Amino acid sequence: METMIDSRMIMTDFLAALFDKLDVAAVAAMSKLPSGEKAAYTLFTDKSGLKECVPFFPAMPANAARAISKLTREEAPSKTVAVFLRPCELRALTELIKIKQASLDNLLIISYDCSGVFPFQKINLSDETKLNAYQDAVSTGKNSEGIRPVCAACTRFTPRGADIAISIVGRSADQPLVLSFPSEKGQTAAKQLGLDVSKTVEASPAVESLARERKTAEEALTEQVNESLSGAQGLVNIFDRCISCHACSYVCPICYCKNCYFDSQTFEYFPESYFTRMTAKGTLRMPVDRVLFHLGRLSHMGISCVACGMCEDVCPVNIPVSQIFKTAGSKAQAVFDYIPGENSDDPLPLLAYAENELEEFED
Amino acid sequence: MDEKKEFTPSIIYGLCSWCGTGGSETAGAMHLQYAENIRPFRVPCTGAIDPVYILRALIEGADGFAVSGCHPGDCHFDSGNYRARRRTAVLKSLLDTFGLDSERVWLRWVGHGEGKRFADTVNEFNDHIKEMGGNPLAKRRDT
Repeated sequence: METMIDSRMIMTDFLAALFDKLDVAAVAAMSKLPSGEKAAYTLFTDKSGLKECVPFFPAMPANAARAISKLTREEAPSKTVAVFLRPCELRALTELIKIKQASLDNLLIISYDCSGVFPFQKINLSDETKLNAYQDAVSTGKNSEGIRPVCAACTRFTPRGADIAISIVGRSADQPLVLSFPSEKGQTAAKQLGLDVSKTVEASPAVESLARERKTAEEALTEQVNESLSGAQGLVNIFDRCISCHACSYVCPICYCKNCYFDSQTFEYFPESYFTRMTAKGTLRMPVDRVLFHLGRLSHMGISCVACGMCEDVCPVNIPVSQIFKTAGSKAQAVFDYIPGENSDDPLPLLAYAENELEEFED
Repeated sequence: MDEKKEFTPSIIYGLCSWCGTGGSETAGAMHLQYAENIRPFRVPCTGAIDPVYILRALIEGADGFAVSGCHPGDCHFDSGNYRARRRTAVLKSLLDTFGLDSERVWLRWVGHGEGKRFADTVNEFNDHIKEMGGNPLAKRRDT
């Protein structure tokens, strides 16, 4: 456990210090939109807009790893950019780095223990009662009512791999930020911020209790998903509503392919092909390839699925995509003892092989 | 029981150009008999078999899917067979999660000279799938 320091700064001071003391070129974080209802991930290049900045706003309109990928994919920013990322976004970024879609150069990663987010459609900046209840849940280390099921069952909510980690679970919103600096970059930043390192703070027991609650929720989720999925009938039932919009893949941080295989010419059939299939099966449900799309997508990205929940947020027909992908993904990941995004040095299981392994999968 | 005997499974067999198909050629040269209901298809390397091909076959009507390529250490492209093995492991894990039979997918290495092993694999897999019965997913009209 890293030493946690009382920074004696509240969020606004901290954001200003990033510009003043660390001399960052920009800060990327959630900010209020002019409509006053929603927030979006935003890049601030000076201090003037920072009062609109709400880094902890419990919604994920997009997985920020995608934004960071766009900022760093071709070349690293010329000056340091401080980016706020939820732990799952940070894990997604780590996975993207492994497939050369992003880079950590000149990024200062700021992350925090995450209490989960609401479905994007269901939370507004003006929902005071909801947000207050959420804040109460954060400071007592409980799952807030109404957060996404996949967030409530997330056991990897602590900021591993960040340069600056903010501890918020079990602490009230108005107290000064409690920071730790796990990386070398972070240590340098701590020096530049001029923090008094002797002012250490104890870890909050609320983190432990939240972890326990999440673990129980995760087990319940796994069981429920496994039950609903059993066999061909369960599979068809679950994906019955799918309208083949493929939105889940467009928002997925791991699905980075510019031309998705499932949107390619391979799946643009000649009319004849439909007739052949109809003849074979008697009738044909349109659009075709719905189960194939979901299972196929899982086989492509499931090994890297960080369970960020974006796919479920955007599904127009409310298929519990993320709950299914989290459950199926972790099972596939377990085959390789792989935890996506946990460690940037672990190679992607589908890009690293050994001669003598996995013989139990041969027949 | 009689019904099972009459059931002729539809089986797709993915073979790499170097070893798998080589095995089938050797089997031919050795005049070995094997089940006629398999449909072999040739790929440059087993590492090129996307799990989507297998899923698609299983969803669209195949009762079983077998993959054969070079033994470990023999891959023409050095590590394509290892890639195939990892992908198969992921696929089998997914099929298990979804309560589908991962046993409908087989991965077995067959070298160029191993005609007998090729013919045996075909017959063994054919019997195995006959034993398992038809693939429930393949018959569905609503996938």
